[in-house]
Parts: sequence; structure tokens; C-alpha cells
Amino acid sequence: MTSRALAWRTMTAERARGGLAIAGVAVIGALLFDMLLLSHGLLVSYRALLESAGYDVRVVATDNVIVRMPIPNATAIAGAIERLPEIREVAILRRARAAVLASGRSLQDVTLLSISAGAERHAWRIVAGSNPGPDEQAIEPPPLVVNRKLAEAASLSPGSIVRVRVALAAASALPAVPFRVVGIGDFLFDTADDLTASTSVGGFVRAKAAGSGDEAEVLLVASRPEFGPAAAAAAIQRLRPDLRAYSNEQLVAQINENGFAYFRQISFVLSSITLGFAFLLVATLLTVSVNQQLGQVAALRALGIPRRRIAATLLWESALLVGVGGLLSIPLGWALASVLDRILRDMPGISERVHFFVFEPATAAVHLGLLAATGLAAAAYPVWIATRLPIAATLRLETL
Amino acid sequence: MVDSLTHFSEAQARLVTPIVEGRGLTRTFPMPSGPVTALREVSIDVSPGEYVAITGPSGCGKSTLLHLLGCVDAPTSGSLLFEGHDVSRLSESARSRIRLTRIGFIFQRFFLLPMLDAWENVELPQAEIGVGSQDRRQRTRELLEYVGLGDRAHHRPSQLSGGEMQRVAIARALANRPALLLADEPTGELDEDTGGQIADLFDRVHADGTAIIVVTHNQLLAGRAKRHLAMKRGTVESAAPVMTS
Ligand SMILES: Nc1ncnc2c1ncn2[C@@H]1O[C@H](COP(=O)(O)OP(=O)(O)O)[C@@H](O)[C@H]1O
Ligand SMILES: [Mg+2]
Repeated sequence: MTSRALAWRTMTAERARGGLAIAGVAVIGALLFDMLLLSHGLLVSYRALLESAGYDVRVVATDNVIVRMPIPNATAIAGAIERLPEIREVAILRRARAAVLASGRSLQDVTLLSISAGAERHAWRIVAGSNPGPDEQAIEPPPLVVNRKLAEAASLSPGSIVRVRVALAAASALPAVPFRVVGIGDFLFDTADDLTASTSVGGFVRAKAAGSGDEAEVLLVASRPEFGPAAAAAAIQRLRPDLRAYSNEQLVAQINENGFAYFRQISFVLSSITLGFAFLLVATLLTVSVNQQLGQVAALRALGIPRRRIAATLLWESALLVGVGGLLSIPLGWALASVLDRILRDMPGISERVHFFVFEPATAAVHLGLLAATGLAAAAYPVWIATRLPIAATLRLETL
Repeated sequence: MVDSLTHFSEAQARLVTPIVEGRGLTRTFPMPSGPVTALREVSIDVSPGEYVAITGPSGCGKSTLLHLLGCVDAPTSGSLLFEGHDVSRLSESARSRIRLTRIGFIFQRFFLLPMLDAWENVELPQAEIGVGSQDRRQRTRELLEYVGLGDRAHHRPSQLSGGEMQRVAIARALANRPALLLADEPTGELDEDTGGQIADLFDRVHADGTAIIVVTHNQLLAGRAKRHLAMKRGTVESAAPVMTS
């Protein structure tokens, strides 16, 4: 009988013990798996989100990606950037705070966007109505695509007419301008509570009463594949040292260094504690089990069964407990992660498309590797007891 | 035993060399209250095919002596040769190998593996020396029939009586055709009748040429041995061949 078969028999002979150990490892392993997913799920997801927008370089006016100053003379700058050999395409994203007046109600804190024609295909997905067609740019009043939240809050559907008033920093009142809702969309970067509306450049300029100049929030740039985003960002930086150009890679790195480092630290501490629990659980169960079988172990040694066989059997037993528990922990952890992810994404200010837990095969592999190492470490003490026990004294004690 | 003929001739070939040869065996256990000498200057030879009973009051050192002879413990002083090899100069793995191939152990508490059935318990030591599965199956069947448990092969220890467990343990001890069978109070947990069955089984093992050293309080079992060592306070008081009853 091989050590593995012997270990399997030991495990199955004591169903309660084996079951408890496996359940324990599965639960602890699920937590560990979640910690590992959490340790870079947000980054993976953020990167995917940036890439899904279809642009690989972002140009802003200041160093600070959180409090943004507008880019003045956006159309001219965008044109200059687009002429760089490294650049394929530039889209201008304008943004303003606004209030939407509809059916006798006034909804504050609406984000009014305008994105260059063509770029909207990446910025939202139409769920009702349609995108404004090129010929529609001239039709009055200007078109508006609203997000679902806003559509619900203001009871809007394609065809509704609303009035939009842009809020300025100073408490001055711009006139409310009429808009025509053409579509309802899911906006890529929306958070759960965002009220968002997007219009054409003409509509945006009209809403801002043309008084604020040609300002953009951000320029979205697509590099040419033969140059790549890093070279494109560097070229823009050379062209306009007063602006900041970031490739997606750089943005992810920035998030990683700033807000995210601390997720990772928490995740690291919690993973270590979780591994500690797994270690203690398996080590305790195996130690108790070995202590109950000292007589049998001493007898086997007296019969000439070598130490390595006894060690191998215990290692296998540990491996089976941790292996079966560890495999179960992946679906369990994934289910738990889905619940946690839903909770976390409800936090204000988090894009709905961002996930905190992202399944990656590599993470599952790391998880199983860590559990395997823990299983081996947990077997060390019981193995030491079983292989070092004094045979004669143990036989004597176990016969008293 | 089934292969008694070959076994016996092998034993005869070794007749000049005792299986175990202990000289001035002393075993002291360090204790907080001072060292306890469990065995004092004991010398003993056991030849192939001999049947020796060791008796004496509890605590006189019988188990200690048996453990030294079985190479599971080392004397504090004195020397022990097993089939001519100085045991003190062997590594633990070499001693383990001797125990696996040349010695069979039987314990008062049987110490069968509870998760394995009788068959698997008997197969275990054979698998360890790499007996092929065909030979192992044959040997295991023979052994279980030899101890009268051919029909209980797939019962676990928990499904067997004390006497049956001890018979499985004897089959396990004989699995690798040892030259020497050591038994420490093999009937200690058994009633008189069952003890008698074990004594009968030992007679057969002896008749088949395997040397036996049995530590026992059981008069019947001790009476079956051909040589009798009476121990007292760590020494062998009398070493006389007993008259066959
Ligand atoms: N491992 C040990 N540690 C301490 N004392 C021991 C140990 N083994 C045996 N002894 C002592 O040695 C003496 C002989 O023990 P043992 O050989 O078990 O006696 P027996 O088998 O004749 O009953 C006893 O006094 C016992 O307490
Ligand atoms: Mg004893």
C-alpha cells in the first residue's frame, strides 16, 4: 500500500475529523483566495476599464488626476497632438456640473459630458433610443444621451425634452437651455449613483453660454501601434510640457502606488493571518491524530517500517486535507468574492465597471501553491513527533 | 510454516551463529530522581529455531531486554550481535531494515492499523520490502489461513475479537519470514482459552523453525517454550531449559 493510499485510508476512516479539516481548510482557503484576488483585482479591472475606452494615452492639464483643471484651447491642442506621427486619433472630453430640469423637478449634480464624435462608441453603450446621428447635430434642440439613473430620476425616455443649466463655480445663474433626449446609455466610467448626460460639442458650448472658452477635461489619445502608448505620451509631453500625458500603464502604476498600495497591504496582512489559521488547523488536527496513534506508529517502527514511510504518509495526509479543502475553497471563495464585490462597488465614487475581485488563473495557482506550502509546514511537527519517537519507551507507555 | 523446509535448512546453516548474542547488556534510564537500571549485565544467546520464555515479576526488565534483543533500543553498556552484526555500529535505518526482514514483533495490545483490514495489515510489511503484488497476495492468503482467519481477511480490527486481532498481528509479524519472533505479553489482553489458541499457534511457528522469544505471565504459554529465563530486578536469575510438559 502506498503512503498516499494509507493516508487516504486514515483520512476516510475518521470521517468526522477529515470532514472538519476539509471544511475548515475550504473556509479559510476561501478567505485566502479572496485576499489574493483583492490584492490586485482592482488594478486588473481598472486597467481593463481604461483599455476598453479604446484610447491608450490620457492628457490632462495638471499633475493631479483627482482634482482636474481644464485644458484651455482644447481644439487647437487636440489638432496639434493629432498631427504628431505617434498619434492616430484624439478625442476631446468636456465636462461640466449641471442641473437638469424636467417634469417640474430639478435634479442637481448631473455631469454633463461632451465627447468628440466617434469616441462615444467607447464611452457608453446605448440601451434605449440611439446615438445622435451626424445629421442630427444641426437639429434643434441639441441631442442628449442620459444614463439610466438620470432617466429614472427624471422619468426620461427618448424624445423627452429637458432643460439643462450648467452650474458655475461662482453662484451665478446661466440660462437653462433645452435639450432633446435621444438615447439612454450605460456609461463606462459611471459610479452607481452618478447622474450623467452627454451631448454634442455644439450643445455643450450652448449650455455653457460660450462664455467659458474652449476648455476640455481630458484629451483621449490613441497611439499608432508601431509607436505604442509610451512613445506617444512622451511625444505629447515634448510638444506640450505644460500638460501631462499618461499612458494607461502609467495610470495603473499611479493608482497602484497611491490609493491601492494600501489595499495590498491589508490584503497581505490578512492573507498571512489566514495562512496562519490554515497552518494551525492542519497542524493541530495532525498532531492530535498522531498522538492518538503513537502506539501504532511505534509498533510499525518496531516492525521495521522506515521513518520515511511514516513521514510520507503524514505528508500525504496533510496534502489530501489541504488539497481537497483547497480545491473546494476556490468556488467557495469565488462565491464569497462576488458578494463582497457587489458590496464594495456600491461605495460612492466607484465606477460600476470596476471590480475589486477579478478571477485570474494565476491567482488560483498562487493560492493553491500557498496552501500546499502551508500543508507541508503544518505536517512538519507531527512528522517530527512520529519519526523521532523512542520506540521502546512509546510501546511501554502505550501498553500501561 | 508453509515454507518450513527451506526455512529450516537456512536455520541449520546458521546454526553455528546465534541469531542474537547479548553480552553484559545493561540499560539505565536517566530519571529526575536518579538513574533507574532496568537491566544489569545480562548475557544471552538465542540460536535459530529456539523457543525461549522470559518470566518474572512486573518491572524486572523483561520488556527492556526484549527491546534490546529486537534492536528497537540500545544498551547503555554491553554488546549485542544480531546474526553476527554489531548492532551498536549500525545506523537506525540499518537496524530498521533488520527489524523489517529478520525480526517479527508481537505486542500485548496488538497495535494493528485500525483503518486497514486484516489482509492489508498483513500485506503492509511485505509491501515495504517490495514483494510483488502476486507473491504478496499468495503469501497473505497463506498467512491468514495459517492463523485460522482465512474467512476474516476483509474485516477491520474493530470487527475482530482480541484473539483474532492477535492472530492477525502474528500473521503480520511472520509476513517477511523472520528468523526471530519476539512477543511481549501476547496473551496479556486475552482470556485463558484464547491464550491457549495463541500458545498453540506459537507451537506451530516454532515447529516450522522460527526462533521465538516470548515474555509472558501465562503459565501455559511459558510452559510450551523449550528454554526458560526467570528474571528478577534487571537480571536473569535462572536460565534453564524447561522440560517439555
Ligand atoms: N523508558 C523508560 N524510562 C524510565 N524507566 C523505564 C523505562 N523503561 C523501563 N523503565 C523502568 O525499567 C524497569 C523495567 O521495566 P520493564 O522492562 O518495562 O519491566 P517489565 O517488562 O519486566 O515489566 C522498570 O522499573 C521501569 O520503570
Ligand atoms: Mg513489560
